[in-house]
Amino acid sequence: MKKVVLGLLVVFLLASVALAADDMYPEYKGEPVTLTMWAWTSNEDYSIREFEKVYPNIKVQWENFGVHYEKAQTAIAAGEGLPDVLMIEYTYAPEFMDLGAFVPINKWLPREKFVALFGEPALNWCALDDNIYGTPQDSGAISLFYRKDIFDKHGFAAPQTWAEFAEQARKLRQADPNLNYATVPLGWALWWAGLVWEAGGKLFDYKDGKWYIDFTNPVAEKVFSFWGELIDEGTIKIEQWWSPDWYNSLNVGKTAAVIIGCWFAEWLRYNAPESEGLWRVAIPPQWDPANPHNGMIGGSGFYVTAHSKNPEAAAIFVMWLNSHPESLKCLHKYSNLPVMVSTRYEEVLDEVAGPDQFFGGQNIVETLWEAHKLVDTSYVALPILTNVDQALGLLLQDYVDGKIKKFADILPMWEEAVVKAIKELGYDNVVVGELP
Amino acid sequence: MIRKRRSRLALRAYLFLAPFLALFSFIVIYPIVLGVRLSLYGQRGARMWYVGFLNYRNIFTDARFWEAFKIPLFLLLVQVPLMIFLAILIAFVYERVPRKEAAIYRFIHYLPYTIPAIVAGIVWSYIFSDSMSPFRPLLDALGMMGVRILNREHVPLVLLVIILWEFTGYTAFVVFSSLLAIPREYAEQAQIDGATFWQTAFFIKLPLIRGVIVMLFIFNIIGALQVFNEPWMLQTLVVLPPNYTPAMYIYNSAFAYGRFTYAIAMGLVLASITFLISLYVLRTASRQLLVQR
Repeated sequence: MKKVVLGLLVVFLLASVALAADDMYPEYKGEPVTLTMWAWTSNEDYSIREFEKVYPNIKVQWENFGVHYEKAQTAIAAGEGLPDVLMIEYTYAPEFMDLGAFVPINKWLPREKFVALFGEPALNWCALDDNIYGTPQDSGAISLFYRKDIFDKHGFAAPQTWAEFAEQARKLRQADPNLNYATVPLGWALWWAGLVWEAGGKLFDYKDGKWYIDFTNPVAEKVFSFWGELIDEGTIKIEQWWSPDWYNSLNVGKTAAVIIGCWFAEWLRYNAPESEGLWRVAIPPQWDPANPHNGMIGGSGFYVTAHSKNPEAAAIFVMWLNSHPESLKCLHKYSNLPVMVSTRYEEVLDEVAGPDQFFGGQNIVETLWEAHKLVDTSYVALPILTNVDQALGLLLQDYVDGKIKKFADILPMWEEAVVKAIKELGYDNVVVGELP
Repeated sequence: MIRKRRSRLALRAYLFLAPFLALFSFIVIYPIVLGVRLSLYGQRGARMWYVGFLNYRNIFTDARFWEAFKIPLFLLLVQVPLMIFLAILIAFVYERVPRKEAAIYRFIHYLPYTIPAIVAGIVWSYIFSDSMSPFRPLLDALGMMGVRILNREHVPLVLLVIILWEFTGYTAFVVFSSLLAIPREYAEQAQIDGATFWQTAFFIKLPLIRGVIVMLFIFNIIGALQVFNEPWMLQTLVVLPPNYTPAMYIYNSAFAYGRFTYAIAMGLVLASITFLISLYVLRTASRQLLVQR
């Protein structure tokens, strides 16, 4: 009897989920409203148009100021001037949550519905203390972008393990000292935290009202000493990414591979047009190929701000924008975004997948999706990520300038600087040396 | 009767002044008053609370703020005197070469000043970039393959080069214009007495334009203390501390850390320091002028 009831319940639940697919988005009964949104991605307007068809009473005015964190900081301090919807990278979101920039939208998007639409890990990027503030848009799942022509010339296949990665890097350095196998960024905390995440670890987290910091855990140490060895011996160089040199090296083929978030596919297409057809994508090298795992570098969410006069309409919008198949298709097609965080992405996967000219005909959507599915853990970033980022940048510059001799020494120094910064900023709920 | 007329005159004068006074108080006085008031508040996000002089007390113990003065001090002691000396030399050369050629040189030297600092910064960041620098082939030929062009220790020198490039021509132009105002008879008289061109220049003309030189010193001291654009643009090549210069620290405190009221307090302290240094220079310079006369 019990089993039958349970079985019926399961059937009923499944049926209701299937039926409810479109009922998941609440009706908007309020007054006609125009929302404002800041986002630096391209072509969000196609999705907005689809949204306005379904919700004729909500209009969305999208503005693109590039990365708008400084503008947002000013508006937060002024107590007015934020748009209704603000795009923020997941790693910077806790900083804004902590400043009181966002408003909870649980009333329209309760936890169960959020998990059903975006999965459990995304809660760490869009919520704090059970308050949900927004929805996730694109994935930052780490991928390996590599130049097939260079790899072929030297007889390399995409490395499956980090050991293989190191071996290829050393071989290439010997074969052609002017070529970089890969470089690491001078700073950019997201990147380094992402690689620790890929190895199954983390540097910090948040739980039950406390911030946890532990940079010197075994996983992080393993990752830093792996890179440290390659960097100390000169196989891998530290480079200022997003600089004229870096753009140039990618465009003319002086760098054979880049490890970065999967949104980079879009970036490469527009910024290294001369290398069309030469790039390929693979899932990143693994520490334990039997238990593959991945982390993210970047990726952004859309959050409803505390200055919004109509959080209900804004909540419905961010929910629809980042999960409805119509919107996902548009974001994919026109913005080239890997909008894979939503669980409904699978519904559009077949439609958006296919050979990609820029990547020599490779079906990169499939590979990126595979990379994204390996991201099954997550954590909350510290609310002082700006300081975390600056501290790392200074230490890496010290290393480059020869003031720090051993690369792996940077990790404990970085932790020290971060702990100092968070205490200076007046946080008294900090636990150092352990992670939840 | 007269009094009445006077007051009417005064009224009329104020009426004429009114547009200026209104704009001046709105654009200059009001922000200063507001800034002073805000600097007395603590702030986190949109929350603000009165803290009295706590921000100022924190500034005096904030080592990062005072460390930031290393670069302005370097510019003050090296760049400002060097540039003004070069500008004076160049201005005398303008006088010496035939008029038409001088106009061409003045034009070329003035050009950098017309280029926005941000645009110039982008161009300079290419010039000092590792792979695309025009110096690269030269360095490679000298066997310095793969040697980094720019690391953090070089930044002050690079700043020196950029700032000299930006402002020397302009400064020379200012010096040259004031030289034009000197009656020609003075130089003629000196030359009749047997002085050479450079003797006339340094012992007759230069003392006559002392006021302009003092003014240039003060303007450049202010510029050095507030230096921001040039180091900011170099950050695409090299990681600089957020407190590399006082202005950068103020900017980062406000826009990267969201500590606006603290940034305002630092801004006011920086302004006071600038004011005091300028005043000191002006005082010593004018005292010397008096002694000489």
